[in-house]
Amino acid sequence: MAEFEPTIVAFVCNWCTYTAADLAGTSRLSYPKPVRLIRVMCTGMVDPQYILKALLEGADAVLVSGCHPGDCHYINGNFKARRRIRLLKEILSQFGFEPERLRLTWIGASDGIQFAEVMREMVSQVKAIGPCTASRLAA
Amino acid sequence: MNPEAGEILVVGGGVSGMQASLELAETGHDVMLVERAPYLGGLVSQLDHQFPSNHCGMCRMLPMLHRDSGEQSCLRKGLRHDRIHIRLSTDVTAVEGEPGNFRVSLRKAASCVDPIQCIGCGACVKVCPVETPDDFNAGLSMRKAIFQAAPFNMLNSYRIDPAACTRCGACVSACPTGAIHLTDADRGAFRILVVDDEQIVRDSTAEWLIEEGFAVEKAASGLQALDLLGRSSYHLMLLDIKMPGMDGVEVLKKAKDIAPGITVIMMTAYATVETAIEAMKSGAVEYLIKPFDPEMLLSMADKHYQAFVEAADEKITAGAIVLTGGAALYDPSGDPRNTLEYGVLPQVVTSLEFERMLSPAGPCKGLLLRADGKPVSRIAWIQCVGSRDLQLGADYCSSICCMISIKEALLAREVSGENLRADIFFTDMRVCGKGFHRYKELAESAGHIRFIRGRVHSAIPEAVSGDLQIRYVSLSGIEKEESYDLIVLAIGQRPHPDMPRLAERYGFSLNASGFAESLPFSPSETHRAGIFMAGSFSGLKDIRESVIQASAAAVNASRTMSVLSKSFPQHLDTKDIPPFPDVSREPSRVLAAICSCDAALDVCMDAASVVQRLRQDPAVQDVLFFNHLCAGQDRESLIQEIRQRHPNRLLTASCASCADIFQEVAVAAGMDPRLSVTADIRMPVLCAMSSSKALDTAAKMQQCADLMNSAISEGLVRVKHADAVKPSETAVTARALVAGAGIAGMTAALAIADHGYPVDVVERSDRVGGNLNWIHHTLDGHDVQPYLEEIRQKVESHPRIQVYTRAQVMGVWGEAGHFYTTVAGPDNSVMQFEHGSVILATGGAEASTSLYGHGTNPAVLTQKELETALHSDALASRELSSVVMIQCVGSREAPRNYCSRVCCQTAVKQALALKSQYPDVRIYVLYRDMMLYGFSESAYTRARREGVVFIPYSLDQKPEVVPAETGACVRVFDPVSDRRLEIETDIVVLATGIVPAFTSDDGDIFGVERDPDRFFMEADAKWRPVDAMKTGVFGCGIVNAPLTISETVASAQAAAMRALRILTRTTLASSRITAVVRHSLCSRCQLCIAACPYQARVLDTEADQIRVNAAMCQGCGACASICPNSAAVVEGFSMPQLFEMIDIAVQ
Repeated sequence: MAEFEPTIVAFVCNWCTYTAADLAGTSRLSYPKPVRLIRVMCTGMVDPQYILKALLEGADAVLVSGCHPGDCHYINGNFKARRRIRLLKEILSQFGFEPERLRLTWIGASDGIQFAEVMREMVSQVKAIGPCTASRLAA
Repeated sequence: MNPEAGEILVVGGGVSGMQASLELAETGHDVMLVERAPYLGGLVSQLDHQFPSNHCGMCRMLPMLHRDSGEQSCLRKGLRHDRIHIRLSTDVTAVEGEPGNFRVSLRKAASCVDPIQCIGCGACVKVCPVETPDDFNAGLSMRKAIFQAAPFNMLNSYRIDPAACTRCGACVSACPTGAIHLTDADRGAFRILVVDDEQIVRDSTAEWLIEEGFAVEKAASGLQALDLLGRSSYHLMLLDIKMPGMDGVEVLKKAKDIAPGITVIMMTAYATVETAIEAMKSGAVEYLIKPFDPEMLLSMADKHYQAFVEAADEKITAGAIVLTGGAALYDPSGDPRNTLEYGVLPQVVTSLEFERMLSPAGPCKGLLLRADGKPVSRIAWIQCVGSRDLQLGADYCSSICCMISIKEALLAREVSGENLRADIFFTDMRVCGKGFHRYKELAESAGHIRFIRGRVHSAIPEAVSGDLQIRYVSLSGIEKEESYDLIVLAIGQRPHPDMPRLAERYGFSLNASGFAESLPFSPSETHRAGIFMAGSFSGLKDIRESVIQASAAAVNASRTMSVLSKSFPQHLDTKDIPPFPDVSREPSRVLAAICSCDAALDVCMDAASVVQRLRQDPAVQDVLFFNHLCAGQDRESLIQEIRQRHPNRLLTASCASCADIFQEVAVAAGMDPRLSVTADIRMPVLCAMSSSKALDTAAKMQQCADLMNSAISEGLVRVKHADAVKPSETAVTARALVAGAGIAGMTAALAIADHGYPVDVVERSDRVGGNLNWIHHTLDGHDVQPYLEEIRQKVESHPRIQVYTRAQVMGVWGEAGHFYTTVAGPDNSVMQFEHGSVILATGGAEASTSLYGHGTNPAVLTQKELETALHSDALASRELSSVVMIQCVGSREAPRNYCSRVCCQTAVKQALALKSQYPDVRIYVLYRDMMLYGFSESAYTRARREGVVFIPYSLDQKPEVVPAETGACVRVFDPVSDRRLEIETDIVVLATGIVPAFTSDDGDIFGVERDPDRFFMEADAKWRPVDAMKTGVFGCGIVNAPLTISETVASAQAAAMRALRILTRTTLASSRITAVVRHSLCSRCQLCIAACPYQARVLDTEADQIRVNAAMCQGCGACASICPNSAAVVEGFSMPQLFEMIDIAVQ
C-alpha cells in the first residue's frame, strides 16, 4: 500500500507568512509539497468555517499562520485569530477531529526556514495520527 | 499622471528613499527611484528585526489610502507603485541644470542575466566554480559569482558579480533557457571589428583588445569585413588602409552605408597618412600610425568605449532631487589599535554581522553557536566602536547603536533562551528617542540584560575553553575581567567613501565629519537649491527619524516644483475611469489569457492540462495563450480578443509584476478593472524549480505544472466571483487645520499653503512662535530669533494662511478628507470650518518642579529660567564663580519615565555660554547619561576641554541641594573618585524636561490617543511616526515627542506631507480589497464596528445601516470573520471564494 501522504491546507497571511513561504521556496528549502497555500489578507479574516470545511472535505490538517504578535499589518488581526483558534480547538474533537490537526503559528517574512520546519513537523505529526476521519468516511 | 507635476529623482533606495518616493508618488509626482544595489531596502533589508516590536513592520510604510496604486505585499519582496519608476543596479553619472530642470544621466550595471528568461532553477550556481564572500550576509558566508542578490526579491532572478566572475562560461551552457549573456558585462558589450590583410597585425591587435575585455572579431579583407558588418553589429572598426582588392577608404564608404552608426579608426603606415586624413572626410574619426604600441591602441579604444557607455546612459530631467544615499558603517579592522582583535578572533563580530547571524535567512540559520559547536551562552556588546573616538577622528555619536545593541541582546535571548547572559558595556546609554528609555528599562528588568558602565580595552582568547576573556575598567578605575563566547562590536557610522565625489557632483557641502551638511533649522535641505536629502546621508539615523526626514525632504521637493511651476498638484484625481457596463446580473464569462513570459515558462507549462482544468468550469468562456502579454503585439491582440469575445471578466496568468498592465488592458478593452485578476504563475515556478533538491527534472516539471495550475485555479475563483460594487467615496475638502502656531505649526502650515491649499492655524496664546520666543541660540550657534522672525513673517503674509490667536479647537468631527471643525475664538466667538486633514502641533513646555528647592530657594533655577536670565540683566550684574546643573530632574523615572532628549544639549549649550561669559566659572553637570547624540557630541567634547566637570549619578544616589547663605551647597557621590563631594555653588540649574501640551480632552477632541507619557500616540512608532491611528489626523513637534528645533521642523514638514496626501485628491476612493456590507443580511449587531481596527465602520442611524468608510477600510477582514450573518464581505475574499479555494486545495 502506498504511504499515506497527508494533505495540508495552510491559510497564510499576505504579509508575513506568505513571504516566508515564497522565501522557503526560492531559497531551496525542501518542504513537503502536499501543502496547499491559501493566501488571505490577515489571519484575522480566517473564519472557523473555513477550517472546518477544509477538514471535512479532505484536508488532514490545517495551518493558520500570520505575523508575530505586535507585527500584524492590520495592528491586531493575529490576536483575533489566536482567540478564535483557541476556541475552535476546544470544540474540534466534537466534530471528530484531533486538536493536533489544527495549528496556529507566527512566521515572519524572513523565517523561510521556520515555515519549512513547521510544514515538515505537521506532515510527520499527521502521518503519526493517520488520515482525517472525515476524509476516511467520505472515502 | 499629472502632467504638471513633473518628475522627481530620488537617489538611494533604502527606507528613506522608498518613503520619499512613496510620499511624492502619492501626491501626484512621477518619481524616478535610483538604487545602486540590485535590491531596495538598503541597510534595513539586512536587518530582520526592528525595535520596539523586535520584529518587522516595514509594510506599514505602504499607502493606506488608494492602496491599489501599489503592490499590497511585503516590502522586502520589492516596491511597486504606478508612479514610481525604479532603476536598480544603477548609478547617477552626471547632474547639471537648476531646480525645475535638472538633467541627469543614469547608468545601469549589466546583470548578464535576462530577468525575463531566468526561471530561477539555480543550475548556473551549481556549475559556477568561483566562491566569493556574500556581502548581503556581511561576508559571513560565501556565494558564487552568479547569485541572487537578496533572498526576498519578488523577481528573484540571478545576476553575475563582474568583479568575481572569471568569464569561464560554465553557467552559459548550464542555463536551460539561455538567459545568461556574459558579453553584456562592461567592455564585453563593446564589439570591435579588426580589418587588416596582414595576419600578424590583425592577430596582435585583436589579442591586445581581447585581453582588455573587449569583444573582438577579425576580418582579413574588405569584402569579409563588409560581409560581417552586414550580419551583425559592431561599435568600432579598426580598418587598415592598404589592402589588396578593396582598400580601406572604399571599405569605409561602403561600411558607412551598411552601418551608419559605426565608429571607424583607420590604421595606416606612415606613408599613407594623407590618405588617412582624406578618409576622415568620409567618416573615420581617427587614425593610428603603424606600427603602434598597445597603450596607444588601448587608450584610443577605451576613449570610444567610454563615449559608447555614456551614449547608452539613460537621460532624464528632474524638477528636484532627493538624495538618500545612506552612510557606511565603521570597519574595526581598519583601526591600527584593534585591541579587540576584530578580524583575528572569530568570536569578535560587528553588530551588522550579528544581525545576519540572528536572521533565519542568514548564514547561521538563526542559531547562535560557537566555533566548537557549543551553543553561545554569554555575549557582550561593546558600545561606541568607531564612534566618540577622537583618536579615530570620530568626534560624533552614531546615535543608533545603543538601541541596536539592546534589541540584539533581547533577540539573542529569544533565540538562545533565558539562560543566555547578555551584557552591554557602555559609556552613556543614549536612549533619548521616543519610548527608548522604557524599552531599555524593560530590557533590564524583564529581559535581564546587564548594563555595565566601563571601557573594554582588550580581548584575550583562552586556549583550552575557547572562551574570550575581556578586560575592562569600571567607572571607579578598577580593572575587571569577564569571559564570553561572543563579543559584538556596536560599530558606528562613517560617511560613504564616495561623499566628496557626490558633493562635487550635486553641489552640496560636507560637514567637518564628511557627511552632507544641511541648512540650519532645516535638516532635509542641502545648500544647493532643489536638492534635498534624507536619512543617514547627513549622519546615522534610526528608522523613525529617517522616515520623518524622508517625508520632509519629499514635501520640500514637491514644494520646489509647485513654486516653480506656479501650478499645484491640486485635486489630483484617481485614474479617470469611464463608466463600465453593469454585468452584475450576468453569469460570469471569464476570458483566461495565459502568458509564457517570452517562452521562459514553456519548459514547465503543461498547456493541455491548463486548458482542461480551466474548461471544467462553465464560467470559463475562452482560454488563450500568449508569448509576451505585457507589451507590444500580444497586448494589443488581447485587447482585440476581449472586444470581439465580450467576456465580462478577465483572468490573466503571468508574473505578478505585470498585474497593473493588465488592469490597463481591461480598461482599454472597455472592462471594469475590478473584474480583472492576475494569477502569479512565475513565483510557483521559481519555488518548484529551485526547492526540490532530490527531484529529477521530470518530477520538477510536474510540480511546476501542479503549482501553476493551482495558482490559475485560485485566480479563476477570485475573478469569477469578483464584484464591481463600488463602495462610497469621500469628497475631500481641500483645506487644512493646524492646531498650534509654534515653529511646528507654522512650518506645517507653510508647507501646505505653498502647495496651494488654504490653512487655518489656531493658537491658544496671544502670539505665534511658542517655545522659540524664549530660546536665543542653538547648540550649533545659530541665532533663533531671526529665524523665528522670518517664519513668522512668511506665515503672516501668506495669502493662504489664516492665523487665529487666543483661539482653541473645540471639536473635530467627521472623517479623513472631510472634518467639521469648531473653533472658539476670543470673546466667546465661535467659528465653524470644514477641513480635509488636521495637524496637531500644540507643542509642550518645560516641566515645572518643586524638587531640589525650586520655588523656595532663589538660587535654584530651571534651564528655561537660566536661558532667560542669561539674556537679561538678572545674571549679568552678578559675579558667578560656580554653577551646578542637575540633569533628569523628575525625568526618566516614574511618573515621567521618559527622556526629554534636549536637556543634555541645553546643559552643554549653557555651560559653554557661561564659560565664555565668565571664563573662571566652575561648572559641574550632574547627569545620568549624557544624551549628546549625533554631531552634538563634539560640543560635549568641547565642554570637557573647557573644564566643565561632568559627574554621573544614579537613581539610588541622587544629589542633594542644601540652601546656603549665598547660593546653595550640592552634595553628590562621585563614582570616579569614589567619594562624596560637597560643591558650594552660586546657582543650581535643573533640567526638568518637556511635558506635552496635550490633555486627555484634547485627545478626545481630535480623536487621538495619548501614549503612556501623555504625548501624541502615533499609528506606528517607526513606520508611521506622525500619523494618528485616526486617518487624516497628524501630530508633529513636541506634542509628538521631545525634539530639537530642527527635528521639530522635519516632523512638521513630514506631517504636512502626510496631510497633502489627502488634500491633493478630489475624493478618497476605495481600493479593490475593501469590505462592503450586505445590508439585507445585516442585523445591526455592531460587532464589526468594535472589531474594525481602523474605525472605518459606523452605524448610520438615519439610514439604519452599517456604513463603511471605504478610504479608511484596509481590507483586513476582521469584520467578515466576526459577522454572524456573513453580511460583512471583503471583496476578493468572500465566503464563496474562500470555500471554492478550499475545494481546489483539497482536491
